[in-house]
Amino acid sequence: MRGSPANQFICLILLLVLIPATVWGATVTRTLSTAEPGAGEVFEVSLSIEGITLGGVVETLPAGYSIVGTDHPDDRILVRDRQVAFALVNDTLITYQVMAPSSGSGDITGIWEDFLGESNGTIPASHLAVDGIETEVESTPQERPTQEAAPPFSVLATVVALIIARWGGQR
Amino acid sequence: MKHRIILILVLPMLIAVPASAVDGIPGDANGDDVLTFSEYNAAVLSYLDAVYMGGAGNLDRNDIQDAAWVYIHRDGKPLVVTDSSGRTLTLYRPLRRVVTFSGEALETLRSVGFDMEKVVAVDKFSHEKTTFFPECLDKSDIGSIWSPDMERVVSLKPDAVFLYASISTSACDDIQRRLEASSPGIRVFRFDCFKPATYPEEIRKIAMIIDEPRQGEEFASFYESTMNWIRNGTAEIPTDERVRVYFEYWTAYKTVAAGSGYNEKIEIAGGLNPFAGESGEYPLIDPEAVIVADPQVIVKLAGQGLTVGGYARHDPEALAEIRSALLERPGWSRISAVKDGRVYVIHSDILGGAQHFIGTAYLAKWFYPDRFADLDPRAIHQRYLSEFQGIDFDLASEGSFVYPG
Repeated sequence: MRGSPANQFICLILLLVLIPATVWGATVTRTLSTAEPGAGEVFEVSLSIEGITLGGVVETLPAGYSIVGTDHPDDRILVRDRQVAFALVNDTLITYQVMAPSSGSGDITGIWEDFLGESNGTIPASHLAVDGIETEVESTPQERPTQEAAPPFSVLATVVALIIARWGGQR
Repeated sequence: MKHRIILILVLPMLIAVPASAVDGIPGDANGDDVLTFSEYNAAVLSYLDAVYMGGAGNLDRNDIQDAAWVYIHRDGKPLVVTDSSGRTLTLYRPLRRVVTFSGEALETLRSVGFDMEKVVAVDKFSHEKTTFFPECLDKSDIGSIWSPDMERVVSLKPDAVFLYASISTSACDDIQRRLEASSPGIRVFRFDCFKPATYPEEIRKIAMIIDEPRQGEEFASFYESTMNWIRNGTAEIPTDERVRVYFEYWTAYKTVAAGSGYNEKIEIAGGLNPFAGESGEYPLIDPEAVIVADPQVIVKLAGQGLTVGGYARHDPEALAEIRSALLERPGWSRISAVKDGRVYVIHSDILGGAQHFIGTAYLAKWFYPDRFADLDPRAIHQRYLSEFQGIDFDLASEGSFVYPG
């Protein structure tokens, strides 16, 4: 698909306008060893961290899921119910283990803060469902960071840009 | 993969994190003025717990950001600084809200890389210099040291205020007393930032205060390289071979004597001021005395009240007019400087304040053109503006600072 130079320019402008500055600063992304664990299965959650020297992350699990372990030092974590806080000191990767309930689905949500960069954001939600079966779950409210994370905006910007580029290329 | 069961409902150590205080490093649980690694981590968890997990910690976002700053930039310890008034101050946090009553301190803060967003108010003169301090246009104007708007200063809740150390001391002392009485915990720094003898040390101290030692060292080295070039180039000149210089202040026949900053710069540049021994720093002299002294170089100061040249205006013709008027003064055609075409006009923007090293370079060049053939004051000036001040100002087409240029 080829857009005209004008459309490519519009796409670039849209990307620059819509993607928050955090894209070039701190980012935290989450990956799961599985999104559809079996009942009672322990699976791994990995957080990949870029651009944070000193900061913090708080992860919130869906109801019924529990944190059972982590490779992060004991004195830099705090677990409270379905939430876990990590103090970040030059960390680029954190993994923790989660035990699935007998049934249940929901999202792992998270926030990050970069104390030196004085910025914060959300980690895109990761969906979980025991054996792939969806159920209704309650959500745990979290304080919203003052600065939203980049990825949702990035996705929106990319989609808009691609639509315009495709539209331009077809003309 | 490690599997460790971690079910910590309440960490007892979190309770030990003290509330945000005026003094003390946030998160320093035992109050020994050292934020250890474990104290820092406990503070982070306490903060995250309180803000996101329903816990009861009492550190807010500024507290934890300050703790992180002190931990990484100051090795977890308070910063102790002695200012130019000889007072020792202790900083437990980075500066977030700064007020400057001194344009020279403001300029030096910018030279050493301070985030100017953190300057919340400036003196009226800096506020008026919209070309040189464009970022100050939207900041609060808190008047001058002689007529300060104290109510406004206090309402801005600054954590640090910069005042002069050795000029207008009674006015500055009064402001300091009032601030310290009304705002416990405020840090009042006293720096001059215009004296060649103390400026390098002041640059480094101000850089230390804002945790920019590398930028401070870079700027201090740049400053010192220029001043040392001038000092070394004139050090060996015997007194009887030094160029006689008549320096005239803004007012006609008002000159400078020993003790004044301008006289110091004349001497550094190798000039001999025949009126250095007059009483007072800025004596008014008999017009005939200038003719009798027969100076080899005449330097006239321009720039009173932002009306001519400087950063505010590109009007070399205005400086030229000032020079022409000097040449027409009665009897001046007999003076060596006039006969030899060595009459110069210099703007106070580059000789009186933090930029005195630029003006001093021009003086040296005018006094001893052969000795300083390779010295390029304009290049030094342009580098200062582009590299250290970070302003987009092209000396080729903007401003007027010396004549002839």
